[in-house]
Amino acid sequence: MDSNGSLRASPWARSPSLSSSASGLSSDPLSFQGFGLQHNQHKWDDPSNSDYGISAEVPFKEFNQPSQTQSPLPCNSNNEIEIPDQENCHMSESSQTSALQDWDPSVMLNNLSFLEEKIHQLQDLVHLIARQKGIGQPNELVTQEQQLVTTDLTSIIIQLISTAGSLLPSVRHNLVNTSSLVGQIDQLRGTTIPSGTGASSSCIQQQNNGGKKVSDQSMQTDIPNNFEMEQNHNVGEQEFKDEEDADDGENLAPGSYEILQLEKEEILAPHTHFCTICGKGFKRDANLRMHMRGHGDEYKTPAALAKPHKESGSPKLIKRYSCPYPGCKRNKEHKKFQPLKTILCVKNHYKRTHCDKSYTCSRCNTKKFSVMADLKTHEKHCGKDKWLCSCGTTFSRKDKLFGHIALFQGHTPAIPLDDTKGVAEPPIHDSKENSNKAQSVNFTFGSPNPSNEVQNVMDVKGNSDDPISYFSSLNFEANFGAYNEFTRPLFDDSEGSFSFVMPGSFKSGGEPSSDNLL
Amino acid sequence: MLSQSIFCLLTEDLLIRVLHKLGSDRKQWRLVCKEFLRVESVTRKSIQILRIEFLLRLLDKFCNIETLDLSLCPRIEDGVVSVLLSQGSASWTRGLRRLVLSRATGLGHAGLEMLIRACPMLEAVDVSHCWGYGDREAAALSCAVKLRELNLDKCLGVTDIGLAKIAVVCGKLERLSLKWCLEITDLGIDLLCKKCLDLKFLDISYLKVTSESLRSIASLLKLEAFVMVGCSLVDDVGLRFLEKGCPLLKAIHVSRCDCVSSSGLISVISGHGGLEQLDAGYCLSELSAPLVKCLENLKQLRIIRIDGVRVSDFILQTIGANCKSLVELGLSKCVGVTNKGIMQLVSGCGNLKILDLTCCRFISVAAISTIADSCPDLVCLKLESCDMVTENCLYQLGLNCSLLEELDLTDCSGIDDIALRYLSRCSKLVRLKLGLCTNISDIGLAHIACNCPKMTELDLYRCVRIGDDGLAALTSGCKRLTKLNLSYCNRITDRGLDYISHLDELSDLELRGLSNITSIGIRAVAVSCKRLADLDLKHCEKIDDSGFWALAFYSQNLRQINMSYCIVSDMVLCLLMGNLKRLQDAKLVCLSKVTVKGLEVALRTSCGRIKKVKLQRSLRVLLSSEMLETLHARGCKIRWD
Repeated sequence: MDSNGSLRASPWARSPSLSSSASGLSSDPLSFQGFGLQHNQHKWDDPSNSDYGISAEVPFKEFNQPSQTQSPLPCNSNNEIEIPDQENCHMSESSQTSALQDWDPSVMLNNLSFLEEKIHQLQDLVHLIARQKGIGQPNELVTQEQQLVTTDLTSIIIQLISTAGSLLPSVRHNLVNTSSLVGQIDQLRGTTIPSGTGASSSCIQQQNNGGKKVSDQSMQTDIPNNFEMEQNHNVGEQEFKDEEDADDGENLAPGSYEILQLEKEEILAPHTHFCTICGKGFKRDANLRMHMRGHGDEYKTPAALAKPHKESGSPKLIKRYSCPYPGCKRNKEHKKFQPLKTILCVKNHYKRTHCDKSYTCSRCNTKKFSVMADLKTHEKHCGKDKWLCSCGTTFSRKDKLFGHIALFQGHTPAIPLDDTKGVAEPPIHDSKENSNKAQSVNFTFGSPNPSNEVQNVMDVKGNSDDPISYFSSLNFEANFGAYNEFTRPLFDDSEGSFSFVMPGSFKSGGEPSSDNLL
Repeated sequence: MLSQSIFCLLTEDLLIRVLHKLGSDRKQWRLVCKEFLRVESVTRKSIQILRIEFLLRLLDKFCNIETLDLSLCPRIEDGVVSVLLSQGSASWTRGLRRLVLSRATGLGHAGLEMLIRACPMLEAVDVSHCWGYGDREAAALSCAVKLRELNLDKCLGVTDIGLAKIAVVCGKLERLSLKWCLEITDLGIDLLCKKCLDLKFLDISYLKVTSESLRSIASLLKLEAFVMVGCSLVDDVGLRFLEKGCPLLKAIHVSRCDCVSSSGLISVISGHGGLEQLDAGYCLSELSAPLVKCLENLKQLRIIRIDGVRVSDFILQTIGANCKSLVELGLSKCVGVTNKGIMQLVSGCGNLKILDLTCCRFISVAAISTIADSCPDLVCLKLESCDMVTENCLYQLGLNCSLLEELDLTDCSGIDDIALRYLSRCSKLVRLKLGLCTNISDIGLAHIACNCPKMTELDLYRCVRIGDDGLAALTSGCKRLTKLNLSYCNRITDRGLDYISHLDELSDLELRGLSNITSIGIRAVAVSCKRLADLDLKHCEKIDDSGFWALAFYSQNLRQINMSYCIVSDMVLCLLMGNLKRLQDAKLVCLSKVTVKGLEVALRTSCGRIKKVKLQRSLRVLLSSEMLETLHARGCKIRWD
């Protein structure tokens, strides 16, 4: 989430405090206005400036540029407004930056008045503390509120310091350190603030949130803060969606954005961040920063390790990227040019579209990819739940396969060959059959001749040492081919062994057989 | 020789014509002379095999058959198929249209495919209860391109993939039953409905499908009958899809669908005014007023079953007043059925043939006499557990319902010998259930025996006063009995069994818990009742080895036997299991004299034929796993008690 997101959230966060005037803080119009201004300031931000300097300069710009009347409104920050806003910014960009760089007494004056205002806020806060002490409140509440107040105090003090620092141009560079300090304070505060209790405290929180935002946005510390998370959540989602939507049909007017085109080598370079000392390359800046720690203590400071603030907050032209491959739709020379949004998009696009697919899936050995991440995604699903059509197409999902089958005449799902069931022919069958071959089928079971009975008994007894093979029904199966010879002596028995069924009478109950022949 | 000269005048086509007129007595015809035999053989259209040993020869003789039914000897295996197809001309396959392979669990996909590919005209296949069948077998079935009718009931392994194979290839399918194919989901049904547009009958009972499937099914324009028993995931939303779809729907069966309510049924009914059959048992707690109002519009309704629903007199009256063409009414276990309600109902439905009032305990003589008066066509009446049914009721039935064929009086304690005498006026009785009617004796049975010669099924379960004399009368009067239940009629002795042995057509005999019968009686039955297929001897503890010997040698048609708690030795058990080549189902629990080894040998001897065995749970660890696996692999299911 970039600073835009958090900024846009701020009016939401603050709007309830507008109506509620319970706390002395929120009823202070000055402080309110100040935050409103800060809210807008990012649009004028100059990348070369440190954040605190900018926030100090905001009031100035505000007053000096009445044409930007819509910006101080705290609730103006929806997307529609934003874009023209930014465009406006770009037009006046050069003049503004130059004005900021100059040593301007009016700027100083402005800053001083801002300082004054902040000091007033401080006073109010202290008043508040004093008043609270007067009223006998439960201890817990008091301590909680004191914590809130102190956090507010710190944020105001930080603003004071930063604004004061901006009075001297030379101080700016050192401010990075203070900002990291602020970061720490911020972190502390983030953990100590409880969720809103009571009307007054919630007001303070709201206020507090707005104030904190200044530091937050300026520092780009990604330290999660309770309120921040909560309140920006919705906004974040919304924004995310916007981005996705924009991915395909982003209707940026030609010329409303800056087109960058990286060279092929640049795109394919494995590393983008290089150590200035030893030259080692890294894919991520964070890794580089971690690496830098080994080069000396000066790289171990929190400031050095902190994520450098992005330039995205600056009022610049939107950046869009062009693919260096001539003729590609993503190439800026193309008639229907569709720009790529980020560098990552460029990289993935270029690899996927214009490079060899060098990564082969080790499982199926057929699917190839040019982007490692794609391979990994594929490998997660490769092999399992493969839904196969008779035409050879495979699907990861069953419903997709069925959709395919429904669509194409004659296509049927293929049954994978590996899971052979072999219900009919178990392996035991053969071995048994062999063992049975030794035995002759001399045992005429089933002959209804009572004289046989005795003989059969004797047979059984005689072979009782190996009754298994003797009785095995497989005798019959083994000799099936020759069952013409496997005769029962009596004609009538063979007649009785089948029955004739009248059409439609399938029930086993009604099977007539010719017993009467016996 | 005189006869020969007469027959010389008859040419073959004349003989064929005569034979066509003959009806069911083809067996006698065959025995007249060789010429008759030959004519019969070539004109025979259907054949049901009892013994696989003679399959090849039979198929050679009857080369023009259209239906081959192997359901009574499901021992067919892949090897058998290859022999069948390789030997001889195999000309019987040319015209074969219908193949019944129910319970042929030993047949694998390879054999099945061979068989089906050999029969180019095949239109109907039944592989129900082949529980081991899966997608491969379904793929084999899909080789029958002309298939119009397929029964896949309880092919447990068939998934959407298998169904898709069939659906894509067999686009002309008209009747399909997928009952208990538990792996099939909405996806499969959806594809089926996209590919098989000619479906007229579809059974998806007990499938784990949702209302989405009904959305697909609603698109079937030719569907006439839809069966959906026990689909607990389908709700009213699904039935609402049917309201707009399936314009030809005539029968719908939604019993035991827990999530279906009155409103769902209303939507189906309001969409199909021509509905003829509605089965909604055990899915509603009561009929709501709007639903009853809807029923009024079903003028063509012929069959309605609303088992287990709370009804009121008003509802029954509404049905009676509006559904004039009602032929069958099922009110089994309905709460709130009164004499008044039934009287109002039947006075409107004069065409009623089948009436099920099982467990409607408040039915008494008033209702029964109205039924007897208004429904002269009544064929089947079920009054199980209707305690208030007395001799007067049967008097009315005997007087008016001369067409009555089936009557269930199980557990009607008011039935006595006099009642049976009245009932015996229904001379067309075919099935009679008198289980738990403890007041009937040999005298009552004699009345029935003398006057109901058509009786084929008789249930005398726990009619403890029935003795040998009753059986003597029964066997002299009801010669055509095929099913007889004498369980726990303890007065029966070997003499009674001797009478039973005169029943030539007897196929099912239950003798459970008869403590006075011995091997002598069983031997008499075994020797004479050649068709005996199902025998229950549980707890007949006086029968010893010689009785089972007799069964092993004489009862060659035995398919099911229950010999739990019997006294049988290892060797005789082995002999029995090995010798009874048609035995499919054996219950062998608690055989005190049988050792584990003996049981194992016995199971081995029947391996390949036997399809179902019930054994003691404690034996599970004692029997060798190799043997159990073999049994399983050859399509035998073991139930552990």
